[in-house]
Amino acid sequence: MKFYLIIAAITILLPSCLKQSIPDAMLGISGKQTKITATLRYEINGNLVSITVEDADRQGPGIHTLECVKSSNYVLSGITSSGDFVFTFFTDSLKVGNYNYTSSYGPMYVTTFQGKAQYVYGPTDHMSFNVTTYKDGHISGNFSGQLTPVITPGFPNNIYGVPGSVSIKNGSFTNVPVAY
Amino acid sequence: MFMGKRTLTAIVLCLLIMQANAQISVMKLIGNNTKDYKIGFGAFIKTGLPVSEAADVTFELGANIFFMSGYGTQYGTIMCPLKAGYRHTLNGTGQGFYVEPQVGYNLIGITSLPSETGENIDLKYHGVVLAAGAGYMFTIGRAPFDLNLRYETVVAHGGSNNFVSLGISRIISFKKRETEY
Repeated sequence: MKFYLIIAAITILLPSCLKQSIPDAMLGISGKQTKITATLRYEINGNLVSITVEDADRQGPGIHTLECVKSSNYVLSGITSSGDFVFTFFTDSLKVGNYNYTSSYGPMYVTTFQGKAQYVYGPTDHMSFNVTTYKDGHISGNFSGQLTPVITPGFPNNIYGVPGSVSIKNGSFTNVPVAY
Repeated sequence: MFMGKRTLTAIVLCLLIMQANAQISVMKLIGNNTKDYKIGFGAFIKTGLPVSEAADVTFELGANIFFMSGYGTQYGTIMCPLKAGYRHTLNGTGQGFYVEPQVGYNLIGITSLPSETGENIDLKYHGVVLAAGAGYMFTIGRAPFDLNLRYETVVAHGGSNNFVSLGISRIISFKKRETEY
């Protein structure tokens, strides 16, 4: 009887030493995948906007809710309940540090608020991002800004509202995955 | 009403099993990163060759399938293990409770996964199969049955697919014991 129990125990214990499933081993995925929660929060004219993505590294095929994609630059994008939020880091190598965009570089769309597109456009408009950590393919940091709404979209020129009338405060982002 | 339907379904299923000599099991993949898989199903052919009053050498060919949650039948894992085992009854009669270690080879192993871009990733492998099981052999009328619980692992490429299985089978034996009539 002991013989069979020992064989059974060995059978159970031996494979338990293998931390990966066969597909994970073949794909080179680490055995214990930890879920990383990514967040993006900010106040726009006092209204809180918040995105939370559980298991941010596996957002599946199609549109991702929150990520930073490397192309010629790095584009941070999030999908909120009221629209989207976009900021481009104009660098080919993202590092910890400050990234500012002012209207002197030209108009830049950032988000939609109360049904109106918000741009860096007015003379004092800006978006200031501070990347505080960039570790294991994820960035965290904070940001603030000042924007101008588009009253009437048009091509080639939008008609803008009161310059600098929309402010973004207390912005923060954590564990946003950087995709290549 | 629901209970009545369930009982009727169970009776019909038992009758089908008895008539078809079917051998079926339900399974659950366990281990890291297996939460995305639904309960799996297996069908197998298992025969025994008595080598003593207490024991049989068994041979089993199975097909196990596990679908991934949220993808219907598009993605999942299929494994077809061929195994030999030694089934030892604890009371030494060839009936009742038994333990059974098994070893074998995974003839076919395919795991189909979605990639980040939505494309299919098909992984093919074989591997060594190890299993440890326990069960209870009994008869309904003159039909012998085997209710069993098993832990099984397929080892390949430095990883392992592990699952537990609860099965019921109609016992098929190559020959009768001397005590059987």
